[in-house]
Amino acid sequence: MKSGIKSDSFEKFTVIAGSIMNPSVQECKDGGRKVLGYTCSFVPEELIIAAGMLPFRIRATDSESAGRADDYFESANICSLIRHTFGKVLNSEYDFIDGAIVGGGCDGNRHILDNWEKSPAKIAFLDRLFIPHASNNLTAEFFLGQLSGLKSRIEGYFGVTITDEKLWSAIRLCNEVRELQRELYGLRLSDNPPITGSETVAVIVAGSSMPKEEYRDDLKKLLRELQEVQVPEKKYSARIMIVGPGHDDTSMSDIVEELGGLVVNDLTCFGGKVIFGSVKEDGSDPLKALADYQVLTRPFCPKNLSAHPVINKEVFDKSKEFKVDGVIGQVFLCCETWGGEIFILNKELRDAGIPLLRIERECTADSTGQLRTRVQAFIETISGGAL
Amino acid sequence: MINVFSQLQMQAGKSLGGLCLDPQNASPGPFVLGNGDFFIEIPAAYGCSYSDLTITGAMGTAMPDASELIDKAIETGVESRMCTALKVACYYLEAGLVRKPDMIITSNSCCDSMDTLGNLMNTYKPWAEVPKFIMDAPHSFDEESYIYMGKQLRQAVTFMEDVFGRKMDWDRLREVCVLSNKQDQLLLEFQELKKAVPCPANPDFSRLGFAYDRWTGERISPQITDWLEQLISATEQRVKDKLGIEGITEKVRFLWQELAGTWPPVELWGRLQQELGAIVIMDYMSFGTLTPIDLTSEEAMFTSFGKRFLLEDPMNRQCLHTTDFFCNDILQIVKDFKCDAVIIPAHIGNRDTNSRLKVVREMCREKGIPCLVLGMDIWDKRYMTPETAFDRIKTFFETTGLI
Repeated sequence: MKSGIKSDSFEKFTVIAGSIMNPSVQECKDGGRKVLGYTCSFVPEELIIAAGMLPFRIRATDSESAGRADDYFESANICSLIRHTFGKVLNSEYDFIDGAIVGGGCDGNRHILDNWEKSPAKIAFLDRLFIPHASNNLTAEFFLGQLSGLKSRIEGYFGVTITDEKLWSAIRLCNEVRELQRELYGLRLSDNPPITGSETVAVIVAGSSMPKEEYRDDLKKLLRELQEVQVPEKKYSARIMIVGPGHDDTSMSDIVEELGGLVVNDLTCFGGKVIFGSVKEDGSDPLKALADYQVLTRPFCPKNLSAHPVINKEVFDKSKEFKVDGVIGQVFLCCETWGGEIFILNKELRDAGIPLLRIERECTADSTGQLRTRVQAFIETISGGAL
Repeated sequence: MINVFSQLQMQAGKSLGGLCLDPQNASPGPFVLGNGDFFIEIPAAYGCSYSDLTITGAMGTAMPDASELIDKAIETGVESRMCTALKVACYYLEAGLVRKPDMIITSNSCCDSMDTLGNLMNTYKPWAEVPKFIMDAPHSFDEESYIYMGKQLRQAVTFMEDVFGRKMDWDRLREVCVLSNKQDQLLLEFQELKKAVPCPANPDFSRLGFAYDRWTGERISPQITDWLEQLISATEQRVKDKLGIEGITEKVRFLWQELAGTWPPVELWGRLQQELGAIVIMDYMSFGTLTPIDLTSEEAMFTSFGKRFLLEDPMNRQCLHTTDFFCNDILQIVKDFKCDAVIIPAHIGNRDTNSRLKVVREMCREKGIPCLVLGMDIWDKRYMTPETAFDRIKTFFETTGLI
């Protein structure tokens, strides 16, 4: 649903989020700046920025078919997000990147790298970053070692030096962006916010697809505009939070909002999880600050066995703070980690009297007819038939 | 007359058949529950029961009422395409059928389904106060990773000591490791004997031996050593006599590139042997690369455990690492065990195998190794029935000229 925002910045974010290659990236490329793709939100963008490159989150925007990726991944048993993302790679839509870092979060994600290396789309710099599956000091220390190795390989391959000073500067920049993004999220605390959930997804997705400084400036401008806008009075039938894996597609938010609801918050890898908290800026080792943030602070993917209490707290806190009427737990078929997490959350939310609608779906928007029916029934139920 | 192989099969089968919801490595001490097949030497030396809930789930799929059980597991509402064995384990847990442990130890190894089970165990409300220890298995196989894993295993021991208020007897742990090394050596000796053509004994004894040694109350006991020694002695004799598996004329040797599962060994492999002379010479439960535990120091011992955990546990070896590593194992097995073909069950719950099919197929084509991909559920025969699997394998052997 559209709120009717009139803003150049917002229009720009929408264009960027709705496609893979975009004018900002093209400008970087034309200016000689390299682009390093990454597949998982636990790959620290700060490291890439400090290397003088543009971090670009690899995604499956607007994919209608996994195409040749289904030769690599057995289509019935592998998450569609993985297959469609790799389909984009094989379809040459990521030919503009100069290298990629694949985060080893889930099993499917790990194998993007293996298959990429064996495919005609192979590029010279393809690296992996192992994501820890427990959060404690030892795992943070091991992750620090992984980051340090990755840093050296980036330096070696691209002939750059990533100094501590550059890392601190990138950390400050990304912290500032996260803070602005949280401010954007905060607008939906209101009963009648100037931006919808669907529109917010586009703003956040754009943040990992364009130069960070440019994004920060545009986001500041958008926030100013949103604060000044006169929002026409509108009554929403239900305030919804979406929880689940990374999804840049807005179809779920669109459905909720077309049906009269409002997505007021989320905990996904293209939303609440990437804007969470800040990297500490007062330490002596910036790489350690990044490792600690990723392993010990952020609400991790449920692939991490320490993640649940943090995810649970975040969902409950945000549900209360944003006056959430119901939660939609969105899981892609064959994603056991989120499937299990939503199963657990469902029990806990039920005990707390917060309704949860569990949706298992493909990542493409072509199954929205069925989704609409289920979401409609859910909204009707939690809003007491107020539609 | 019952021959020695039948006796050995019955002996191990009796112990394994008793496993399911009871703690697998029963002992009078405290009960530790995990979601993986960990460092069994540690609970054995510490004198505690250790159960792997994954094995419990897998065993469930071998029960007479398996179909009903699997349906109930699906109804719990955990991810619908999750590995069936793990889904059954989740059901056992959610239905309150698993004995309450005194400690829980979980890790992400080896696959996403294991994580889900681990998360369910760690958040299961009736066990909220049970002490829990979580480990991170990295997807790498180098010395640094073994040391890291070893450190976590050492922390797990400290955690056990703190929870149970009793110290580990390090001399006892060494004794257990010596015996464990001996038994692993014997398992490897049997594996070596399987290289003979014709294969002298049912190759499935590797799997049986591994399970008997690691999952039963007799774990790492002199009884297992005796069992393995008898197995090797009888097999050596058949190699000397140039005899194959009794009653089988060996025509095809193939790699079953997956865990055995529950129904395939019972309802498929025997028929393939009997009717086609086609022998599963190796599967991924049987395939052992067991490096002896280094007993030179405590640190070396734990680094060895770490290495075993990451590299030598059957499923971890299959799932945690890169496709190149996975392909190298296939080629090595095909070469060493003189396999005529590779059959990839492509178990529906195995995301790792299902993410590698193109690369593996192409590698086999390039190397001239006939390869068949099935797409089955190794724990639920309703997905692809034994008859269908048999027909497809038979047709494959016929079309490739192997029979």
